[in-house]
Amino acid sequence: MTRYLLTRLGQALVIVILVTLITFVILHLLPGGAARAILGKEATLQQIAAFNHEMGYDRPLWEQYAMYLQRLVQGDLGYSFQLNQSVAEAIVQRLPKTMLLSLASTLLAVVVAVPLGVVQAVRRNRWPDYTINALSLLAYATPIFFMGLMMIILFSQVWPVLPPEASQGFTLAEMLADPAGLVLPTVTLAILTVAVYSRYIRSSMVDNLNENYVRTARSKGLSEGRVIVGHTLRNGLFPVITLLGMYLPALFSGALVVERLFNFPGMGLLFWQAALKRDYPILLGVTLLISVATVVGALVADVLYAAVDPRVRLRAGRS
Amino acid sequence: MEATHQPLLRLRDLSTDIALRRGTVHALDQVNLQVDQGETLGIVGESGSGKTMTVLSIMGLLPHGGSVVGGEILFDGRDLRGLEAQELRRVRGVEMGMVFQDPLTSLNPTMRIGAQVAEPLRVHQGIGKAEARDRAVEILRRVGMPRPDKIVDDYPHQLSGGMRQRVVIAMALIRSPRLLIADEPTTALDVTTQRQILELIDDLREEFKMAVILVTHDLGVIAGRADRVAVMYAGRVVETGTTAELFRSPRHRYTEALMRALPESAAADADGQGRLYSIPGLPPDLSRPLTGCRFAPRCRFATDECRTTDVALTPDGAGSGHEFACLHPVTEPVAITASSAAPRAASGAAEPLLTVRDLVKEYDAGGAGVRKVSGRVSAVAGVSFDVAPGETLGIVGESGCGKSTVGRLVAGLEPSTSGQIIVDGTDVATLGRAARHRMHRQVQLMFQDSYAAMNPRMRIDSILTEPLEIQRVGDAAARRARVSELLDQVGLPRRALERYPHEFSGGQLQRIGLARSLALRPRLIVADEPVSALDVSVQAQVLNLMRDLQRGLGLSYVFISHDLSVVDYMADRIGVMYLGKLVEAGPAHQVVRAPRHPYTQALLDAVPSPHPGHASNAGTAIRGELPSAVNPPTGCRFRTRCPLAQDICATEPPLEGGTHQVACHFPLRQEPPES
Repeated sequence: MTRYLLTRLGQALVIVILVTLITFVILHLLPGGAARAILGKEATLQQIAAFNHEMGYDRPLWEQYAMYLQRLVQGDLGYSFQLNQSVAEAIVQRLPKTMLLSLASTLLAVVVAVPLGVVQAVRRNRWPDYTINALSLLAYATPIFFMGLMMIILFSQVWPVLPPEASQGFTLAEMLADPAGLVLPTVTLAILTVAVYSRYIRSSMVDNLNENYVRTARSKGLSEGRVIVGHTLRNGLFPVITLLGMYLPALFSGALVVERLFNFPGMGLLFWQAALKRDYPILLGVTLLISVATVVGALVADVLYAAVDPRVRLRAGRS
Repeated sequence: MEATHQPLLRLRDLSTDIALRRGTVHALDQVNLQVDQGETLGIVGESGSGKTMTVLSIMGLLPHGGSVVGGEILFDGRDLRGLEAQELRRVRGVEMGMVFQDPLTSLNPTMRIGAQVAEPLRVHQGIGKAEARDRAVEILRRVGMPRPDKIVDDYPHQLSGGMRQRVVIAMALIRSPRLLIADEPTTALDVTTQRQILELIDDLREEFKMAVILVTHDLGVIAGRADRVAVMYAGRVVETGTTAELFRSPRHRYTEALMRALPESAAADADGQGRLYSIPGLPPDLSRPLTGCRFAPRCRFATDECRTTDVALTPDGAGSGHEFACLHPVTEPVAITASSAAPRAASGAAEPLLTVRDLVKEYDAGGAGVRKVSGRVSAVAGVSFDVAPGETLGIVGESGCGKSTVGRLVAGLEPSTSGQIIVDGTDVATLGRAARHRMHRQVQLMFQDSYAAMNPRMRIDSILTEPLEIQRVGDAAARRARVSELLDQVGLPRRALERYPHEFSGGQLQRIGLARSLALRPRLIVADEPVSALDVSVQAQVLNLMRDLQRGLGLSYVFISHDLSVVDYMADRIGVMYLGKLVEAGPAHQVVRAPRHPYTQALLDAVPSPHPGHASNAGTAIRGELPSAVNPPTGCRFRTRCPLAQDICATEPPLEGGTHQVACHFPLRQEPPES
């Protein structure tokens, strides 16, 4: 197990280094270089030369890359002249809020999607299956900004029970103090996720219900509930682990559209605003963070697999 | 029915339908059966006969869309169809137990063995965790599981197929059922394991005083184990009687045909060429309404009356309970004589077409990159043999013995680790890419599962033309002509060309597979278990076809199979493999009738013989399990399971002898003098 973990960690590290290399290259492919991007069109050549010298941009590339890595390791992701704060600081301010939004909506989605998928599988090709299927297809096909707008119109205009905007608290605690503002963004984000998850769970449960081991379980005279909960569910939930692993990056990136729509002060909104203002340090910093999160997400999913599925555990542990 | 005698289970006019998208399949039509306490009833039939649907109906485990639509299932006098769901579950979980065909998939992969075995007790008797575990250990010990106190905490994938089947049996027995239903319990297992499992079921039946229903396609399995037999065809019972009576004098024409189609019966037939009796055609489509005897369209004795009259099971009058549903029953006895096939004419001392010398194949042990190589799997360890033009070499052995690997190496699908493969005087290893590419024309493969081996989205036309295109044979017109010729050779109609693989039956697919391997006019066909997935009657068709083509085209075959009777029928010479080694090789009739290696003897002893009370059901079975091919035993690889093993067996015995070679320090017989 330890060996397996170390191997996977090693692989993850290599990928992360590749990602830093790519972001580094992008930084240097910017039209007119970083100086132009940061100082603006009006800057004189002297100003640019001075800036480049100050930032070390006139040194050989490999040396710059080494410095870039060195700064990264120290948590220095660069400085945003537009926000007038370090990239790291900007991220640290917003990341917890995005994670709150993503975690809450994922949790909600899983809690709703698992029973839905199971019901669909058990009653497959009958009306509960068809109904849920139609609804989830509808949810899946609806653009998320439209869904969000509908939510706002319904729940804060027609029937004004919830605020249309997320609370603008500066810290996480301030946001939590106003939970009503979290409901609409969380639910909007969850609806799409439910649609995706329940389809995966349905097909995985259908596959499992047709397995021979389920017939064996029934031959023991178990009730249908016990067959499903005791035997099929665990095997049927494997795809959810993969999905959760793939979803981890979203915890960091935030749902761009939803955050913009509800003016939710998280990573998505940060990225959106940076993109409009060409704030490259922020864009690249966030990109790097998401890349790392993607790699870590895959790693976490693999480890979870090993924890849940004895077959994976053993194959890894035998060395 | 006498009032005093109540059978444990009685099916009265049981009918079962399965609703599918394309219509309703009437899987069972008025099935009547009974099982007495302590008795073993064998249900035998080919695929689609309804034998499995019968037991699934009894257990209430019909697949999605299936339901019992008529008749009664009387268990201990009560009709199970009328019971409340909860009571039915209790009967199913406490009074009946079922063993399934495929032990590899019949257990929950993420649940510990102990929990699965003891689950019926926990659910139906409310027994606590600790006691349930003790009971599980106890019953696992009873079914012959080594170290049961450790196994209870294992997961299914840690056990071999035979061991998993023991777990399934333990799971059925822990509830002390009154009826044990075994649906093809050994079909997925090797013969030596099959024998262990069948003996276990026999022993347990006596100990637990259970009734047993043994469902199988294998007449041999039935002959040795059942008290009474029911033969099913197309959803009906066509004949039933005591095992001895039914095998001695089958009355229904279908039963007769089934017995005649066995490779074992080949020699008993008058036909000097030893052609197998095969049943023409296919079983009827059960989603259509059927009138008359369902076997009539395939029966050579059928008259118009057969096609229009429904025939019920009628007693044969001797009062022995032998019943059959046939208007023109067999009157003369159909003895399956133990075959004594005359040795086929030796093919002379021609230059061998294929020569294999010291062939070795090793694989890295372990999975994809997760862990580093900790050993090498020795799949083939120094195998040598020759195949003459027009000859069939049979290779037999149990799963994991390396027989398929030998086939793949010979066909050039994989490179060997070392050793020589000489085709028609040319060492394949010395050839360049292009020359080796051409060499593939000479050697073609035929697979066990032709359906899986064909692209489902290609028409038969493209499937058969593809090899010609790859090897750039002829122009489009010539290819079309060749493809038509191939269809004629394998006996399929031209219109097959327009159709897709899924539209064909298993036997037809094997014909197409054969046609594809013939496309390039090869001289050698490596056939890997070509008939293992087929029913007996269809198997006979394919085997006959393969022999006809061999005679007509002068083909050589390397015929790989686990089934000794099939290999005996097909092969001129037989090589027996065990754990990567060739342990015996010689003329087929000698290897089968006078084996020299203890392993060959054990393998022969384990084959269930379709003669009730035949000697082969005695003898000593091999104990234990096949050792791992990673770090196999040194010296003779069979010594860890051999009853004759001595210290000297730790040194490797060479394969020695004239025409009948053996690799054993203590051969069972001396080679007969050359005649």
